[in-house]
Amino acid sequence: MKNKLTRVAITGIGMITPLGLDTHSTWEALLQKRSGVSRIRSFDASGFTTQIAAEVKNFQPQHFIKNKKILKSTTLPIQFALAAAEEALQDANIRPTSSTDKRWGVVIGSSMMSAEFSYWQDFHRQFAKEGQLDIKTFYKNSFNYSSPSEFSKMQSNTAVGLLAELHQIFGYAMSVHTACASGGQALGLGLQAIRRQDADYVLAGGFDSMINPTGVSGFCLLGAMSTSNDHPESASRPFDRLRNGFVLGEGAAILVLESWEKAKARGARIYAELAGEGNTLSAYRITDSHPSGDGAIQAIQTALRDANLHLENIDYINAHGTSTQMNDLCESNAIKSVFAERAKKIPISSTKSQLGHLISAAGAVEGAISALAIHHSKIPMTLNQENPDPACDLDFVAEGPRNVSLTAVLSNSFGFGGTNNCLAFKNPLADEVTL
Amino acid sequence: MTEKIVVTGLGCLTSIGKNVTETWQAIKENKSGISKIQSWESEEWEFALGAEIKDFDPRTLLSDRKILKLLSKHDVIGLNAVEQAIAHSQLLPYRETLTDPAEFNERTGVFVGSPGTKFHQQYDYLPLLTRAEGSLKQFGEELNSVVHPMWLLRTLPNNVLAYTGIQYGFKGCNQNIVNHSVGGIQAILEAKYALSRGIIDRAIVVGYDAMIEPQIQSYYAALGVVSPNGLKPFDEKRDGTILAEGSGALVLETFSSAQKREATIYGEILNGITTTEASGIFPIREDGSGLFHVIEETLNRAELTSQDIGFVTAHANGTVLSDAIEARVLANLFNSIPVTGFKWALGHTFAAAGVIETILTLLSLQEKIVPGIGTLQQQANDCRKIKVNQTAQTLQKSNALIVARGFSSVNSCLVVGV
Repeated sequence: MKNKLTRVAITGIGMITPLGLDTHSTWEALLQKRSGVSRIRSFDASGFTTQIAAEVKNFQPQHFIKNKKILKSTTLPIQFALAAAEEALQDANIRPTSSTDKRWGVVIGSSMMSAEFSYWQDFHRQFAKEGQLDIKTFYKNSFNYSSPSEFSKMQSNTAVGLLAELHQIFGYAMSVHTACASGGQALGLGLQAIRRQDADYVLAGGFDSMINPTGVSGFCLLGAMSTSNDHPESASRPFDRLRNGFVLGEGAAILVLESWEKAKARGARIYAELAGEGNTLSAYRITDSHPSGDGAIQAIQTALRDANLHLENIDYINAHGTSTQMNDLCESNAIKSVFAERAKKIPISSTKSQLGHLISAAGAVEGAISALAIHHSKIPMTLNQENPDPACDLDFVAEGPRNVSLTAVLSNSFGFGGTNNCLAFKNPLADEVTL
Repeated sequence: MTEKIVVTGLGCLTSIGKNVTETWQAIKENKSGISKIQSWESEEWEFALGAEIKDFDPRTLLSDRKILKLLSKHDVIGLNAVEQAIAHSQLLPYRETLTDPAEFNERTGVFVGSPGTKFHQQYDYLPLLTRAEGSLKQFGEELNSVVHPMWLLRTLPNNVLAYTGIQYGFKGCNQNIVNHSVGGIQAILEAKYALSRGIIDRAIVVGYDAMIEPQIQSYYAALGVVSPNGLKPFDEKRDGTILAEGSGALVLETFSSAQKREATIYGEILNGITTTEASGIFPIREDGSGLFHVIEETLNRAELTSQDIGFVTAHANGTVLSDAIEARVLANLFNSIPVTGFKWALGHTFAAAGVIETILTLLSLQEKIVPGIGTLQQQANDCRKIKVNQTAQTLQKSNALIVARGFSSVNSCLVVGV
């Protein structure tokens, strides 16, 4: 049964991250042990308990988006997605044509933020000076106020609509949001869409930015973020005893997923096979998973089964690794539970140590990194893991990136709300028989 | 040969009824839930109509009131339908009989069509903005004393998914779809695909939305798609849609799972698909090619022809352009097959529409009637080729096709049967 499934190739990768405005510079910066975290520059965060984040630097939207109308009707995070998608298509060296456009799909893990902070400041000034909406003033001006281009910025599926329009995609279209698992879920849905032959090609990924006063406020209120404001570069320290919360990041990653036959037939460069996904609910608490790893365990096991992989095939795990005590403990325990004695032998790293937590984009960015790890035979490190947490006693690749040829890789993403996603990637050169 | 996917539980909360029985009865009596908006002062406004859930009281809608402080109004509406559908399906008494329910829980999925536009939750920041007097530094410093510490959790777009898991212990495959008005149909379809590939045995599917907010009303009105008069699909006097609140939920199972627990079966999910028409965020293609494509593909997938379809539940949102295009495409594809819609009564419930309309379509098939479009007085000239009626039409066949269209030029279509 498994053998009959259409295999899925990753043939294009596009990224906008705190470490670079494309895939190459992001990957190089990861290998150079750089941190994308610094004091927040995009707004005055000096009054907040957390004043640091991993921001995308020097992004000039007009450089990436030539269509002025689209530029005007998009927010920064959507622009990240459009820019990353363009890079992915160029990288894959394929685009929808009139004979293939119905066979293309688009699946995006979308940011939860709707209106921008500047919108709310303006809304407050005009209609809610005293802190509550003055409905009568609002009625009087609502028509002048409610422009369609502003409204299109706030739709949860705007990125999907614009990607379809820009690239003339006429097939499957999906927008999902399961908090920090969104990007991973989107890649998983792209995989399923190709397997069930809804599409031969899918633009799949995620985008997000919550680095704005309300986004940062939400996490400050919960006390979930690191407050190491004086040491931004060492603030994100997954699996380290001295961690004190996650660091918010922003950006996008979009991949071109392609049916194996199509990719092979055109001689495409295949970074990796997207070979399986596991997708479960923790059914425990909104913000935490069960410390035992329950929920995450089933996600990893399902991904392995779905990809037809055995425990001994896995030679790298890109961890969710948020640098919060609960996640790091739960994730370590999940890996130990699934892999038993082999757990300690598998290199595991959290690239959030360098990139921060890109929320809805995280799973897509880390999926891209997993494919690049296979392609380049290199494992990125966990930065800042200087004081190993005894409860997380696994190999977190703390000393620096490693050169290793990889057969199969897992990438974990666990979200607020309890959705757990695990993706499995295979080396395109790996012989099916040896697995 | 893939296994049949059947419906074994139904639940809904709408502007015309607090459950499936009431909602269905209202439809048969040609009652509409559209009236003057009550939840805020709408008197002085031209666009004051909405389809609100009547006598909304969150405390009566959820069995666990403790979680209310962590939920938005949207979430309460969604979870109420979930509770109804699960109760209706009798899943829990069956689970009680199992010695080890772990496998049952892990093979129960949750698929959700969630709202895509929310403003009201951000109102919690308005007092802080006043207090901050334009200073972001002050905004940050006073944050903790003004805004509720759990604010972010209340606004999570995946709360209905999360609490369906937490409350019932369901742990299987899941999606939270935020894709405007096709989210409900897509939730049904993704559940169907997951069931068909055998990774789960049953799924809770829910679509919910609450579009009655001043800013949403204003933006839709400015786009020219809201009517100040009422929702009259395919009528010569149609002039827009009406925003609504509502939720619908289904329990889907593989046939063997339903059979094993001797569950009552209310219908079958045959097949469907989603496609785009790549025309941008708000515009739709006037030639109808996108809609034509999605319906044709759906029939292909279901291995059916238009002759097998008993009636069509159209998107029928009452806007001038969308109804005309839809009427033209349906007339081309289905000749003289009866067409109806439910938004004239429910209002447009966006992410919930696909699920609620699937429930009403299944009940129509069961009772062998095609409910009328109660507000239809004079069929419009540009919609004249479809077979619509103000009162119920008769029905012979046991399959029906449901259409959903959303912003970002996305169309979904589904065939169900009894």
